[in-house]
Amino acid sequence: MFSYYLRLGLSSLRRNPLLTALMVLTLGVGVAASMSTFAVMRAMSGDPIAHKSDRLLVVQVDNSPAGERNDRGEPSDHLSWLDAKALLANGDGLRRSAMYGVGTVAEPPDSDARLRVQGLAVGADFFAMFEVPFDSGGGWTAEDDERAANRVVITRALAQKSFGAQPAVGRSLRLFDREYEVSGVIGDWQPQPRYYWLEAGNGNLFGEIEDLFFPLNNALSIEESPQGNVSCSGEGPTEPGYRGLLDSECVFMQFWVELADAGDRDAYADRLSGHVASQKQLGRLPLGERSRLLDVREWMVAQRVLGDDTRLQVLLAFAFLLVCIVNTVGLLLAKFSQHSGEIGVRRALGATRGQVFQQYLMQAGVVGIVGGLLGVGLTFVGLWLVGQQSADIAQAARMNPTTLLLTLATAVAAAVLAGLLPTWRACQVTPAVQLKTQ
Amino acid sequence: MLSMRKLSKVYRTHMIETHALREIDIEVGEGEFVAVTGPSGSGKTTFLNIAGLLEDFSSGEFLLDGINVHGLNDDARSRLRNQKIGFIFQGFNLIADLNLFDNVDVPLRYRGFNSAERRRRIEAALGKVGLASRMKYYPAELSGGQQQRVAIARALAGEPRLLLADEPTGNLDSQMARGVLELLEQINAEGTTIVMVTHDLELAARAQRNVHIVDGQVSDLDHGHVTLRSVLG
Repeated sequence: MFSYYLRLGLSSLRRNPLLTALMVLTLGVGVAASMSTFAVMRAMSGDPIAHKSDRLLVVQVDNSPAGERNDRGEPSDHLSWLDAKALLANGDGLRRSAMYGVGTVAEPPDSDARLRVQGLAVGADFFAMFEVPFDSGGGWTAEDDERAANRVVITRALAQKSFGAQPAVGRSLRLFDREYEVSGVIGDWQPQPRYYWLEAGNGNLFGEIEDLFFPLNNALSIEESPQGNVSCSGEGPTEPGYRGLLDSECVFMQFWVELADAGDRDAYADRLSGHVASQKQLGRLPLGERSRLLDVREWMVAQRVLGDDTRLQVLLAFAFLLVCIVNTVGLLLAKFSQHSGEIGVRRALGATRGQVFQQYLMQAGVVGIVGGLLGVGLTFVGLWLVGQQSADIAQAARMNPTTLLLTLATAVAAAVLAGLLPTWRACQVTPAVQLKTQ
Repeated sequence: MLSMRKLSKVYRTHMIETHALREIDIEVGEGEFVAVTGPSGSGKTTFLNIAGLLEDFSSGEFLLDGINVHGLNDDARSRLRNQKIGFIFQGFNLIADLNLFDNVDVPLRYRGFNSAERRRRIEAALGKVGLASRMKYYPAELSGGQQQRVAIARALAGEPRLLLADEPTGNLDSQMARGVLELLEQINAEGTTIVMVTHDLELAARAQRNVHIVDGQVSDLDHGHVTLRSVLG
């Protein structure tokens, strides 16, 4: 009977095409509005490294001075080199990396070009921790870290700009007025959001990754100043210059640790508490007990990757869908009321109420499928429109197979939901009355 | 085939009680062609609706082909209707969106026949009413007489024991009406029991037997047949 009902459902689309078109349009617009905003929210709140996000932890060491004004009651997003150095030294966890952002100019060989680039100074573990894929070559070694080697990993785009079609690995690229050897070229890697380096208030949550990555120790040895947020609480550096920055309570780094097992989190937290306790004895970290570990998902929540306005938009969009569903209920009631004669005949010829229910619910479902197809098209348009607001969101808001299927499923579910009352009403048709009035 | 004893039907609103049928006793034997006559509002159609299990009755007893239908739920009544009864309506009641083949197919779908069996029955039924060549036509493409023939084919396709006809020629001119009546007589001759409601006495005279209903009661029996009895008062 399923195929019979489906055939009847399809042919019913042709009956009263104006009503059908209105229903399809209503559902299509409602579904597209809700799905495009939902797709943005899902992309923004999605887990970029789901299989190990509970083992990848950001370490936040709170070095705020006691009684600081404007204290949010939470540790800063960044930590000081004093703490990062200690955490690196204690060697806990499977992998670990401190990092900070820099800006510089890249000078490719055989060219006069000077390319403005963004870089991230990281440890050798960075690439394995965040599972960075390589087109060619790879990261550098722990020994390179030790000796602060002039090694660099660059993106495919920078490789093409610097070396054209020629292999980049092993080539030399001039950065910071020094020669760096390219150890690897990153392939397709665009985590959404760029969770490995999130800074509150930085709009670039969904943008392109940095152009290059180079050893943290190298950055420290050449005394390359951080670009981005540097926050100095209390008295600030006691000495001028880069050395003074490193020895101060100024925060500008982030620190990630990868654990072998998510269950090791408590043990790592104990070690962190140990670090805080030892520093307290040295007179540091008066609010150090607020230090904490956040896994990837917690980190994205803390960094407000998903803004309250996005949630509100999604709520409004789904409220709009609800209005569309209510409208569709009205339209279906109108459509089905025209069928009462046919329903009476079918009941007289032996259809049970259940069979009438299935037939008309299928009609509603068919409207949902067509509305869903329209909705998919309109969702493309919706995502494009949302993307026009910012390149950042355009990166996140893309149609993928999941969104496509979800859009269709939502439309069918909405139509079936809208069809319940009209279908129930259709089943209540008294055949004797209908046949008499035919 | 159809046995009603002391059967009553009362429509109740919060103000009024309307007695549509009052303790009627009607027996229709296997293979009979019975015409039920009476003026408008006499209760003929209510009788037909109850006989066709489209409406429930208020009191009394009703056996259809030996089955006591009182207390059957809606699904059971639907199945029984589908298996044992064919309907012919004054207004034909064909489904405008479906072609003749699919119209005749409707009761067979609910019976659960497979596709080959349905096709065989549809072709045979449409063949019997002389419309085998127009299976792909839509009802609007046919004359009234032809539409009523399709309705008869639809009623016959399930090979029902009982055919209930409500003013089957009411919307037809005399020539078409004659053709439809001849077809019904042929069907009856082949063994199908027919109960026809009509206010056309000329038409009723063609039936084997007449039952006259006035004011919800059976008022007389034209042949004094033992299978029909009226209860007056």
